[in-house]
Formats: sequence, C-alpha cells, structure tokens
Amino acid sequence: MNKELEHSFVELLEKHQNIIHKVCRLYTNNYDAHNDLFQEITIQLWKAYPKFRGDSKFSTWMYRVGLNTAITLYRKSKRSITTQDFEGVSFKMKAEDYDDTEEQQLKLLYKAVHKLNDIEKALVFLYLEDKDYREISETMGISEVNARVKMNRIKTKLRTILNP
Amino acid sequence: MDELDLLKKDWNKQQNQDKTLSSKDIYPMLHKKSSSIVKTLFYISIAELILWILVNTIPYLYSEEYRNKLDVIYTNDYLFTIVTVFSYAVILLFIYLLFKSQRSISVTDNARKLMESILRTRKIIKYYVLYNLVVAGLSLLIGFYFAFTKDPKAHEVFASLNDNQLILVYGLITVVTIVFILIIWLFYKLIYGLLLKRLNRNYAELKKLEV
Repeated sequence: MNKELEHSFVELLEKHQNIIHKVCRLYTNNYDAHNDLFQEITIQLWKAYPKFRGDSKFSTWMYRVGLNTAITLYRKSKRSITTQDFEGVSFKMKAEDYDDTEEQQLKLLYKAVHKLNDIEKALVFLYLEDKDYREISETMGISEVNARVKMNRIKTKLRTILNP
Repeated sequence: MDELDLLKKDWNKQQNQDKTLSSKDIYPMLHKKSSSIVKTLFYISIAELILWILVNTIPYLYSEEYRNKLDVIYTNDYLFTIVTVFSYAVILLFIYLLFKSQRSISVTDNARKLMESILRTRKIIKYYVLYNLVVAGLSLLIGFYFAFTKDPKAHEVFASLNDNQLILVYGLITVVTIVFILIIWLFYKLIYGLLLKRLNRNYAELKKLEV
C-alpha cells in the first residue's frame, strides 16, 4: 500500500475518530479494552480502505465497520482484566448543564444502556447518532419494520429501568 | 420527554471531547496485527487441514510395515487407488471451499451478512472434520474386518474366545469408540464454543428480530 493512500486514510480517521471512540465507549468498560478495540477497528478500516469507493460518506462507512468489529470480530483482550473500571467516568457529564434530576436520570440511562446486549447497543448507538431507520436496517441487516419495533422495545425497557 | 431524546441531547454535546489521537498515534496502529476472530478461525482451519493430512500420511511415512502392506494392496487392488484419489480430491475440494468462503467475509457487509459468512466458513471446516472422522471410523471397521477374516493369527485368537469374552471385546471396542468421539466432540465444542460464543449469541439475537 502506498504512502499516499496511508496518508489520506490517517487524515480521514483523525478527523472522524470520535465515531470509533463512541463505539469503544459503548462496548468496553475500561481504558485498556477501549484502546484495544480502537486499535482493532482501525486495522479493519485500514484493511478495507482500498475497497472504499467514496460513493458513501467515510463516516457512514466507519459506522458499519466499527459496529461490525465491535459486535462480531472483536475478541476481548486479555490485558483488559487488570485495569480499573471506568464505568461512570466514561461518560463525562457536565453537571452545570442539568438540574439534579436530569443528571441523575442521565447517569441511570447510561448505566442502563451499558447493560443492553450487543445488538440493542448497536441500535441505540445508531439512533443516538441520528441515523434513520433505513440506515439502521441496512447496517444491521434487518428489515426497517423490525428495526422500528426493536427500538420501541428498547425505549420501553429503558423507561422501566428509570421508573421502576 | 422521551428518555432516549434526553440521552441524545447529552450524547451530541460530547461530540468533540474524544478527538484525542493525532495522526502520529494513528500511523503505527495501521501496522499492528489484527486479533479478530476471522483471523483466528482461519489459523484453526489451516491447522485442521494440516493435522488431518498428517494423521493420514504419518503412518505411511514412519512405518515400513504399513507402507509395505499398503504398497501390496495398491498394486493389487484398483479400488484402493480410486479411494485414495477420491480422498485427495475431497481434501482439495475442502481447501477450495474454505478459501472461497474465507475471502467472502467482508467487514463492510451488513452485520447479519458478515455473521453468516463467518458461520458458513466455520461450517465448512466442521464438515471437513466430520468427513475425516467418518473416514477414520470406516477405515477402522474395515481394518478390523480384514484382520479378523484374513489374518490367521487374529482369526485364531477370536476363535478361541467364548461367548462372554466375545461380548466383552465388542463392548470394549464400543466404549473406546464412544469415549474417543466424545473427547473429540468436547475438544471442538471448547475451541469453537469459546471463539464463537459472542458471534453465536449476537446472530441468534438478530435472527430473533426477524421472526
């Protein structure tokens, strides 16, 4: 692979890295695992990059590869066992922006999202990233109707966790 | 307000807080080795291909007696030649299918399709192992049959056994076979179970959505 290709890839990745970070925060719960998954997603993106045609947006393409790596390809690293947990730290909340109840609710919500299974997390992630149901269904390989139904179930689930 | 909308509001606020890596950090990442399950699965498949080829050829390479026996059989019996050619053709077919399936795994497919391609690759290697086990079992049975009917020594030993001893011998053979199969089955359950646990769980979850 030539230097030019490498350079353009790194430039794009640097610009859009927050997408990978968000996937990592959703699927890991400590610093080392986060870095490990970030590394694996980067490798997968780089391996697939020569086939990236530019007919879809680089960021759209990253969502797919990132989620596929997190849900399917990634094996949990052995290194991740010894490090401290950063649940709660992972989502830095700016307390001044919320009143107490809202902050409390957010804390609970993030915790609840972390407890969802891998597929549910993927749907929530795409939803939070403002993807429409067509894109969600195309990324996951399920029908649009089913994506909608599942999303509604997840909302109910989260509501029950917040208001037991 | 919808719970998820509350989350979304906060989520969007942290858009830029993660841009921590510079291009200097990213460059070395490109040259690190992947530890994805596809790669592991590929190595296991290659190991299995080689293992079973070795299992079939090592006795031939190391035991002169075995070689002589086989050479006699091959020169006399066309059937055995056909069987050998067939078995190599099957191995080649499996290698072809495996590589074809492996190449079809693409991280840019949708989640469900990606999972299906990986599971298909796994299935091919599973059938390969199954095929080898069946062939090994059949060879053993045919071997026993020839030994008892054609080998005068074995025939003599067998003739001297009474009914109870015969039952014991058959029982022993059955138990050994079952234990052997069980160990192999457990071995595979363990490797693939551990490797594909997450994939299987997530695939089941996706399938559940489509019902």
